Amino acid sequence: MTTMQTRRFTPWLFILPALLLYALFVAWPIFSSFEMSLFHWDGAASKPSFYGLKNYAELLSDKVFWYSLWHNLLLLVGSLAIQLPLAAFLAILLHYPTWGRTLFRTAFFAPMIMPTVAIAILWQYVYDPGNGLLTKLIQLIMPDFEYAWLATPGWSLLWIFVVICWQYTGFHTVLFMAGLSSIPDDYFEAARIDGASELQICLHVILPLLKPTAIVSATLSIVGSLKYFDLVYLLSGGLPAESREVLATYIYRLAFDNGQGRFGYGSAAAVMLFLAVLVIVMPFQIRRIRSGLKEA
Amino acid sequence: MHKNKSAFLLRHLLLILFLLFTAYPMLWMALCAFRTEGDAQAHPLAIPTKLVLDNMANVFRSGSFGSAYINSLMLCTASVAIAVTISALAAFAFAQMSFKGKNLLFYLFILGMMIPIHVTLIPLNRLLGSSGLGIKGGLMALAGPYIGFALPVSILILKGAFSSLPKDLMDAARVDGCNSIQVFLHVAIPLSRPALATVVIFNFLTMWNEFSFALTLLGPGVRTLPLALNDFKGEHDIMITQTSAALLLVVLPLIVVYVFAQKHIIRGLTAGAVKE
Repeated sequence: MTTMQTRRFTPWLFILPALLLYALFVAWPIFSSFEMSLFHWDGAASKPSFYGLKNYAELLSDKVFWYSLWHNLLLLVGSLAIQLPLAAFLAILLHYPTWGRTLFRTAFFAPMIMPTVAIAILWQYVYDPGNGLLTKLIQLIMPDFEYAWLATPGWSLLWIFVVICWQYTGFHTVLFMAGLSSIPDDYFEAARIDGASELQICLHVILPLLKPTAIVSATLSIVGSLKYFDLVYLLSGGLPAESREVLATYIYRLAFDNGQGRFGYGSAAAVMLFLAVLVIVMPFQIRRIRSGLKEA
Repeated sequence: MHKNKSAFLLRHLLLILFLLFTAYPMLWMALCAFRTEGDAQAHPLAIPTKLVLDNMANVFRSGSFGSAYINSLMLCTASVAIAVTISALAAFAFAQMSFKGKNLLFYLFILGMMIPIHVTLIPLNRLLGSSGLGIKGGLMALAGPYIGFALPVSILILKGAFSSLPKDLMDAARVDGCNSIQVFLHVAIPLSRPALATVVIFNFLTMWNEFSFALTLLGPGVRTLPLALNDFKGEHDIMITQTSAALLLVVLPLIVVYVFAQKHIIRGLTAGAVKE
């Protein structure tokens, strides 16, 4: 692409304000996390002292840390195995002529615009053990039913996953709808003229052509699954540590909960989270980086 | 034809099932905001016989909702204004100028979309705290992180818009004696209004709903709307009608914005997903 002729420093004047704020509030904190993870620093009042890699050694034998990571992975697999196929299915349903299509799309997507705090409160009332919406609906069939949805270790994560699906499925449906609408109608027509059934069209025309959208959707799900904080933090407060944490909530609780102030140890956990995202996302990004480095 | 008809019905049935899953909890809660507490506790599934406005009034009377509204409004307006201005400047350079290290730098900005904000909580707590900038606890503490994390997606969207501007127009402006900043202000900005609207609306929504930074960096007396809502729930846990009313007051403006600016919100949320 051709560009404007400018003096050599002009581009930097345009970029500088953004670069400064980005460096201070996004980039520097990441480097700082690496540095702080090498210090023993418990409590805001105490002085940090150099600790080498001992925080990481401790982390590796920390049961709660491994459970947190495990919960992130469970949510990740759940998103890929349940949420994405469901979203693709809904998008395909909506691709046929549908009454009230805009209404469906608008309603499916609506939870994405709600503050997570509001979503958490809403679902706390849905999941109330004796009087919640879901409990009451089940009581229509089983009058004596009571169940502490969010306070049952081992199962509560599943109910939180339902909330995550409630929030994000519509978003992925919209992504898949966009992907579908970019497939020319001729393809479907041609397949129909050749005598393909709707199911065959789905399997052999639509699904292969949706692959790029699926990859994008999967990348977002994977990164999102590693980032979860709000809903898990707000919905799983009543559980023992081993069954409530994901990595982000564990970092937060280590450093800020009830004046724990384990800043060094928390930073080591933060570095692990950062590396996890990097390792999982990098394969998708290698080509972009190469082109970036070549130019530089 | 008969087969097509049943397929049509089955398809709508499945869609309506999912619609119930999505919408029923929301509508149920919205209805709760207008019931009497006794009615909501005794017959939560029934259609209420009487609707009241007391709950809404009580929310306004009790607690920090009014000031939280003002806090969120000020914080988000200022942060969005700054974030969009500096993103637009940077995006213009990335789209229309050439300089060494451009692609790498652009990539480093975009990488910010992948970063979990919780990796930055502990360092930001120190940076903004008394041993650093000393603004932790106040509303100001949130502006930096909010702006910083708004930059990647804003620069991505605006660079896309600025790159698609017709080159002839730029050249003509240069020939007429415009310098870079004049081309930016008088040609690029006016022609990129839709993308700017997307960036403004999307960032506003994100900041308006933000929870983690606010939870970590604000002091006990200073609340944004999500925190005020969370506090309210804590204090009125057993009063489902009051909490529903508070929730509705927070969500209602968002629904209005969503209905009118759906296109922008969807574009903002999917920006990171669209391949270049």
